Amino acid sequence: MERALKFIASILPLIFAFAFMVPVIDAGMQAVGVNAPFGLSTLSAALIIGGAWGVFAQITGRWV
Amino acid sequence: MNAQSVILPDDLSQLSDAELRRLELKIARKHSGMFPWGAVAWAFGNLAVWLSLWPLVFTGLLPLWAAFPIATINLALVYLPTHEAQHDIIARPGTKLRWLNELVGHATSWMMITPFEVFRVTHLDHHRHTNDPEKDVDITSMAPGPWSAIWAAIKARQPNAKRSADYVAALARNGREDLILLSLIYKLGFIGILGTLAWNGYALEALFLWWLPYQIAITYIIFFLSWAPHHPGNESGRYRNTRSWRSAVGNIGSMGMQFHIVHHLHPYIPLYRTPAAYREMRPILEARGCRLGDI
Repeated sequence: MERALKFIASILPLIFAFAFMVPVIDAGMQAVGVNAPFGLSTLSAALIIGGAWGVFAQITGRWV
Repeated sequence: MNAQSVILPDDLSQLSDAELRRLELKIARKHSGMFPWGAVAWAFGNLAVWLSLWPLVFTGLLPLWAAFPIATINLALVYLPTHEAQHDIIARPGTKLRWLNELVGHATSWMMITPFEVFRVTHLDHHRHTNDPEKDVDITSMAPGPWSAIWAAIKARQPNAKRSADYVAALARNGREDLILLSLIYKLGFIGILGTLAWNGYALEALFLWWLPYQIAITYIIFFLSWAPHHPGNESGRYRNTRSWRSAVGNIGSMGMQFHIVHHLHPYIPLYRTPAAYREMRPILEARGCRLGDI
């Protein structure tokens, strides 16, 4: 149990990115009418942007 | 409550340490012990307003752009009633209204994604170790100027921030490792709620009613409750580790923290009484060599 919780705590940036940032970016793009490049859907773009940001935060320990 | 006025001698420099202490305590007692009904109303009123924003926005009765600043004010205001409860100001242990003190603490702290007991244990630890570079949980808020203080407050919330480690260390130092798990549950719960809303079509509502207001509010709170009243944060000792200061945004805009020195000296005085206590206590604080601003 303790190991599982420590693992969850260690990947919180990734959890946050995919649980919240991705749908927020998707909704934000739709709200302001921004189209994703290369014919991607806004959700695909959000997955790339949010996912990459989450990986960055996971590796570096900081969002900004 | 002791309403008697405390008459101070003209020349306090002739008084001994014990005599100064006696007068200081007399003033402190005069301004403490009353029921801070305002803090209780503030706690539940603020909570009710913030909770009401959600259905109002979901049903389209209130636009999100209008709800966002209200939510930000709600999140900024939520800490002070919790802070009163942390110091048992609403009701001390063993008293009739103790349940209300605890209810205020628990009912408000979750909005800031922190268990009430974590706030209490770590904040009281801050009082014990103010400005100690190793033990003060708020030491990471110290910065040379206001802009760097804002940046420090943002940095303090990053995943690898020292502030998180300082909080864990404070809980361990106080024998409350159990609260580390509870803190994690709160964080996961927060992400769970935000994620559930976001993946069900309410992403912007979750962003502008809770996540972003919280980020703005916590920066504001750290700035005015932690950085400003302790700046430059390099002195320890009862009469030197905090200060009085004149805020550019006034006492309300700085959440009553212009008189933070009174709070550190006598943390049982309700927030709304600290200005009056300060004015009465000021000659004593001067005699003690406290860091007093032009206020």
